[in-house]
Formats: sequence, C-alpha cells, structure tokens
Amino acid sequence: MRSRISFAMIFVFLLLGQSSLGQESHVGTLVGNAKKGKALYQRYCIFCHGADGDGRGDSAPYLDPKPRDFTKATFKCRSTPSGSLPLDSDLYDTITRGVHASGMPSWKPLTRQERVDLVAYIKGFSPRFQEEKPAAAVVIPAEPPTSPESVKRGAELFQSMNCWLCHGKEGRGNGPSASSLTDSKGNPITPFDLSSGTRFKCGDSDQGLFRDLTTGLDGTPMPSFSDALKPDQIWDVVHYIHTLRASNKSQRSQAQAEPKAE
Amino acid sequence: MGIAAIKRVGTQWLLVATLLAVVRPAYAIPAFARKYGLPCSACHEGWPMLNNFGQTFKDNGYQLGNDRDAPIYQQPAYWPVMFRTTPNWHRESNDRVAVDKVPGQASSGLVETTISPSGFDLSGLDIITAGTLYNNISFFVQPFIGASGGTSIAQTWVRLDNLFGSRWLNVKMGKFELDEMISQERILTLSSTGAAYYNYFFTPPGDSNIFRGIGIPQLGVEVSGHSDNDYTRYSVSVLSSNDGQTGLPAGNSYDVYTNFAQAFEIPRLGLQRVGVYGYFGQSATFFQTTGGQPIPGTGMGNRGFYRAGAYGQWYLGKFDFQTFYMHGYDNVFLGNAVPANQQSQLPAGAAGPTWNGGFVEAHYTYNPRLIGIGRYELIRMSREANPSIRGSAGNLDTWTIGYRWYPIMSPRAGLAWVQEYSRIVNAGTAPISGKDDISNSFLMGLDFDF
Amino acid sequence: MQPKYILGVIATALVLWLATYVPAGAAGPADAGAAGSLKGTAKIEGATLKPSRIDMSSDPNCAQAHSTPATTEDVVIGANNGLANVIIYVADGLGDRTFEPPTQPAVIEQKGCQYKPHVLALQTNQKLDVVNSDATTHNIHPLPNNNREWNRTQPHGMPIEESFAREEIVIPVKCNIHPWMRGYIAVFKHPYFAVTDKDGNFDLKDLPPGTYTIKAWQEKFGTLSQKVTVGTGESKTLEFVFKAGS
Repeated sequence: MRSRISFAMIFVFLLLGQSSLGQESHVGTLVGNAKKGKALYQRYCIFCHGADGDGRGDSAPYLDPKPRDFTKATFKCRSTPSGSLPLDSDLYDTITRGVHASGMPSWKPLTRQERVDLVAYIKGFSPRFQEEKPAAAVVIPAEPPTSPESVKRGAELFQSMNCWLCHGKEGRGNGPSASSLTDSKGNPITPFDLSSGTRFKCGDSDQGLFRDLTTGLDGTPMPSFSDALKPDQIWDVVHYIHTLRASNKSQRSQAQAEPKAE
Repeated sequence: MGIAAIKRVGTQWLLVATLLAVVRPAYAIPAFARKYGLPCSACHEGWPMLNNFGQTFKDNGYQLGNDRDAPIYQQPAYWPVMFRTTPNWHRESNDRVAVDKVPGQASSGLVETTISPSGFDLSGLDIITAGTLYNNISFFVQPFIGASGGTSIAQTWVRLDNLFGSRWLNVKMGKFELDEMISQERILTLSSTGAAYYNYFFTPPGDSNIFRGIGIPQLGVEVSGHSDNDYTRYSVSVLSSNDGQTGLPAGNSYDVYTNFAQAFEIPRLGLQRVGVYGYFGQSATFFQTTGGQPIPGTGMGNRGFYRAGAYGQWYLGKFDFQTFYMHGYDNVFLGNAVPANQQSQLPAGAAGPTWNGGFVEAHYTYNPRLIGIGRYELIRMSREANPSIRGSAGNLDTWTIGYRWYPIMSPRAGLAWVQEYSRIVNAGTAPISGKDDISNSFLMGLDFDF
Repeated sequence: MQPKYILGVIATALVLWLATYVPAGAAGPADAGAAGSLKGTAKIEGATLKPSRIDMSSDPNCAQAHSTPATTEDVVIGANNGLANVIIYVADGLGDRTFEPPTQPAVIEQKGCQYKPHVLALQTNQKLDVVNSDATTHNIHPLPNNNREWNRTQPHGMPIEESFAREEIVIPVKCNIHPWMRGYIAVFKHPYFAVTDKDGNFDLKDLPPGTYTIKAWQEKFGTLSQKVTVGTGESKTLEFVFKAGS
C-alpha cells in the first residue's frame, strides 16, 4: 500500500521537476548525464567558467579571450546557422579539440563518456536548451580542387565582402576597423591573423574553415556568410585564405590529420 | 613508556633512515596552474597524484597544446617556481629496538624495547622550477633540501618534445625519475613508514648492489612517446650504472629501463590502464684500487640484475585502485657481496636472490578536495642469496591508511590537511630476539604548495 | 491503495504541470471605437554637444554616399528642442493581455552606412526585413540580452529576414565592418509604442482605456516615466523633458 503512494509521489515529482540536472546529451551512441557532468565540471572547468557557468571563474580576469558564458548559449564553434543553439556534438567537439589560441585546452585525455557528461551539464546553464531546438547543421559540400582562378575569385570576394576592413589587406588582422572591434560582451577583440601559422579556433581543416564562414562565430564580430555567398564562392574564399597563411607544412599535415570527435 | 637513548641502531631503523634520506617529498606544481588558470584538480586526482589530463600535459612537455604554451607567449616576468613543504606532528613507534639495559652503561648489556619519539617536525623543502624553455623544449630542475639542511640535486633534465612534429618521439636527458605511471615522486602519503613504495627501494639483506631501486632518479637518456590522449605510452631509457649519483663514482656500464602502458575506457566505470616495465642493469662488484682504496669510476666485474613487473590503474566511479607487481633478481655475486674475481669466496649453495612484491593502493575521491587512501604492500623473498640467510629475511608487510583534505586548491597555491597512519612489519629483523620488527607511524600536518 | 486515488494524484499532477504552459489572461486589443490615444512630444532641456562628424574614410563606398560628411545620431534635436528617436511605450497597465504580431514587417535599412531608422521598435515575432541599399557589404549584428544573438553578412541588395521572440528594451545593433554604425531595436509584447519623429512628436493611437505607466527611452539620456489614465475615447497629451547632462 505504502509503496503505491510513494510511486505516485515519485511520478508527480518527475513530472513537476524540471531541474537542470535532468539534461541529457547525445553524441553518437554516447549518452551524457548531467549529474556526473557536474562533478567533472567542478574538477576541471569551474575555475575559468565559474560556478554558475557565466564565464566569471576566479581565473577569468587574467584570461584573454574570456571564458565562455554558458548562460547566454551563444557559442563560437558550431555547425548550426548563426543565432541557433549548437548541436550536442558541437559542444563535444569543442571540449575535445579545445579552442586554439585561447586558454581552453584540449580535453582529449578525458574519456569520451566524461566529455559527453560535461556537455549534458553545460546545457543546464541556459534555459534556451530547454526552450529551443538547435537548427539543422549546415551542409558542407565536397571541396572542389584549388586553382589559380579559384584563388583569384576568392581574392575578389575578400575585397567585396569587406573581409579586408577587419582582417587587413594581407590578412594580418590589422584592417582599418580592427582596432574598434569588441566581442558581444564589450571586451576588445582582434580579428584573426590569417597570415600567421596559428590554427583556426574551431578546427583547422578546410571543412572547418568552410563551416566557420557559413555559420559565423557567434558572440564575436565574425558574421555568417551563408546569405551572402554560395558554397562555391565560400570554397574560393577558403582557397584564397590558404595563400595568405604562412607556409608551414607541418601545420598543414597536422591539420589534415586532425580527427573529428574521438 | 619512557623514552630511552638509542645506543645501537637496528636494521629496522637503518631501513627507515635510508628511506627518509632517499624519499623526496612529492610535488605538484602550482606554477603550471598559475600559467593556465586551471585549478590543481584539473591535472591531479588529488595533488600530487596525476590524473590522465595531467599525465598528458606532462608527457607533452608541460604544454597544453592550445597554441598558448611557449614562454614567448608569457610576459618575461613570469618564472615558474614552486615550493612545497609539510610541517607536521608525528609519532613513531618501533618495537624491539636494542637498547642498553641501563641507559648510559654500555656494559649493562642490550635488551629489546619499544621506543616512541613524537613531536612537531618538518619534512624538508622541495623547490622546483619546471616548464618550457621554448616551444617543445621542456625542463625540470629540483634541488633537494633535506629537513636537516643538507642539499643535493634531486632531478635536473631537459627534454626535446614532439620531435619531427610527432608525439611519439621525445628525448630527455639528465637526472630524472624513471618513467613510472605510479610515481614515487607523487605518492599521496607522507609518514615515515608510509611515504615510500618499498618495492621501489628494496635490496635483499646482505646485497652489495649499488642500485637501490626504481624509485631513485637516475642519470641517462630517455626516449618516450605517447598517443594524443595518452592512452598508449612507451619509454626506453639508457642509464649509467651509477644509481643516479653524479661524479661517475661507479663503473662504465649502462642499464636499460623500459615502460609500456595502454589505457582503455570501460563505459560507465572510467579509464583503466595496464602496463609493464623492466629495469635491466649491471652493477660493479669490485673496483681498481690504489693502496687498497677503490678508485671511483673503475667499476669492474659487472654482474646483472633486473626489476620487472606489471601494474594497473583502475578507475571505478569514485574509487580508484593502483596495483603493482615486481619480480626482482640480483646476480649471486651481488647478492652475496662477493667480488666477481673471487668466486671462491661465495658460500656453499649461493644463488642469485629473487623476490616478488607488490602493493594495492585504493583511493576514495569523495570530491577533488577530500581523498581517502589505503594501501597494503608486501615483499616476499623467493630465494635467498645463500642458505645461511633465514628464508624470510627481507620480507615485509606494510599497511597505510589516511586521508587528505584540501581546503585550498586554487591556481595560485594549495593547502592540504593530512592525517595518516602506517605500520610496517619486517620479518625477523629484531636485533636480539630475531622476531618480527614492527614500526608504526602516525602523522598529521599541513602540506602546502605554492 | 485504490487505483482511483493514484489516478487522482496523477491527474492533479498532470493538470498542475500543464498549467505552467497555458498563458493566463485575455487576448487581443480592445475594439477601436472605445480606444483612446496619447499624443505628445519629447524635449531636451539644457545645452548639449553638437553632433560630430563621422569619418567614413575606411570604406570609400560609405564616404562617397555623403556629399557632406554624416554626423553622429545619438542626440538629434529638431524644432522647439524636440528630441528625435525617443521610444515612447506602455510599460505597465495592460495586464496579462497578449497581442498577435502584425503581418506587416518592420524594416531597417542600411543607407549611407547608417541605420535608417536609427531607432526601430517592433513587436515580438514580428518580421524584420533588413535591407542593404549601399554599394558595400555590411554585417548586421544585434547584441541582445534576452534574445538569441546572430550576426549575418549582407551584400548589396540581398534580403535578410529575422524576428525576435522575446520582449527587450533595447537591443543595440552594430555593423562590425563599419564601427561607427549604431542602431537600436526595441521589441515589445504589445503594439503600444512609438518612436518620436525629427521634432520629437509621437502619437500612440488605439489605446484601450486604463491607467498606464508610460516610459520614454533615449539612448544617451536614459528613461523617463509618467503615469496617465486614459478614459474611453479620451485623447491625452504628455510631455517628456530630458535634462541634458543627466
């Protein structure tokens, strides 16, 4: 008799309770659990990203760029269009790869289960993950081979799309508008120096670059070019950008060997 | 119980004293935490013990690999220095110590009694500087300052990391701790009987092998490599047979140490790792002499020995276990302390001593700031050097239990409150009665790290 | 334990749970016959800095669009000290009423490398058409706190359509490529808002009778607030006076 009441009570609580610790995440066949993710977050993440996930951990004042504020659910490295939530796999990939040229390391030494648990917990910081669904991932078509014509078209687009105003004529990040740039929190931010050998923040492959141009890096001045450019044109820009980068063979081969989420 | 003056030091105290002298306080490196803004718990299960993320960072040459590593990205005023020490209160208790029957009168004869010194104490001071000299060149310098003020160089090495852009090729040179996943340098316990993995320092009784064990930093070159998540690791070291002592005191022979480990995930349980290791070497059994005095560096009559075995690191939710097995062997000349050119001095029935040993260490990580520790370790001689040695000579069992609580664990510094109890039973080493000799150690103190 | 009792508990739980999703309150505006209106002006008192010239030389396409250099738009004063680009809106008094967004889209245009209008107000889920009439490429980048953030490049002539799901007063908008460009978008749950014209005049039509808190927001001088009661068919006049230096 008593057990039936408690079953009913449990049922009631399950229905009414909508705590953030009920979040789940799915990456491939892995299912993440937010409660386990919380313990991991407190071990690894809390000092930069803060106990409330707002990017204001103890170390944050000394970091540039600042750690991500999860409460806004605005993320740079996504495969979804600008303004959309990221997919679970986007968050998983960011944790696995880290964010190059920032304080966010690659957390590959954590097990895959640990990383997917962290994704589940992180989603609990913003109500947007419960209210909205992420849009469909952008399609990345096969890359056409590069050619002098493609590079020339890319150079023209780099000019007409006003990339040079921020990134500079040689891609050094010193364009006329560069010094005025701030991120969405008002912190000064510099455009990426395309001429250095530094790996791109969200992954260094050509597909990654195509994706970045299509989705934009939300939270930064870098916009999405999905309305402005057709896929062929975006590949032209990718081919042009390669000619701007410092010649560094080992960087390229390492980039091509970079595996997707493991 | 009255405290009597100690006239003669029994074998058990010698063992303890040796251990205290060779065991370095272990370390965690807040300088790295300060550089990256990460808390101690990111790299350490509970400092100083490393978790897989910290082990990968170390194997990468103290680089996180996010393009922000080289010192050239830091302001020049940044200098990676840390220090660690543990002021503590401890109580030692050792039964069956040989003391004069009447204190002060050597002629009164020796009896066995228990002595129990206790009081406030220091564990010595670790000062470490380590990090990257340049992109993919890492270094480590650790002078060791003993509790009574004596100094030495504990470790000094330079490592060329990620040669040819590959994680599989790293070359380290200098004086360094051997590549061990279960590291003596990062042991979680501090008491005088609990602060060592005895298997890492064991030499059978009566043995003349200069090599004291795999827990001592050695001089040489190490080639190592690892996969990008550190699940697969290997290392091969070539070391001079000097047992880590500088000045070329021994011979011209070389030892080889190798370690191979493979980790894998078990869903829902966590990361598991197994590995095998082996130290294969030779030690000199006699020297050139002048006027009867041995000349350093002229070691001759090299005879072989090895220490080899397997280990595992198991993570099961909040528990983690470390299991270790060693099989040891010393050549018959080393085991009987007889120079190799005087075979006739070997006692009848002499043989190369062999032994087996191992330990199981369990941790319960309630949260990264509270860790409970328990360990059981044993060594069993399987063959003594000669028949006159009692079959159990050298055998030992130890138990250690304790906890560490870390109220402060910030990127800036760390502070731990430690309590620990440890007990060792040395078989048959009581000086007079020949019974088992039992030592206990209780320690509590503040372990801090800046 | 009887099944009836369990069913009762479950049913109650379901109802309680569903109740959190059903919006309470009546819907729709009052019919036009009974509605009142609110007219008035926003003014500025005291001396202010003159608008300064904007240097658009970094993009020749922008500089060429202006025969005389464009000026900053944070304080635009018209006849009789009237203050343009002030948002007048009902902050309180509408109760729990909900309103359908109009089918007519709101339009924000990038012209001469400036936003026209400088301040735009629209309703939640109302379509926003973003138009680029310039011979150069812009990116349109609103910086909301309460809505999702997006950032899209827009070459000349390419249409972009967006909307905002939540009320927010006010969302700054910028173009990162052209750092002097600054606009504001205010998103309301209801249709009772207006932006003052170049002389500071506004007219809130079709206001249902009731007691309201009316607020006036200006980007530099902040927000003023007044209470007013509008009777059936009544027409009232309000004046908001911003003090320079506030």
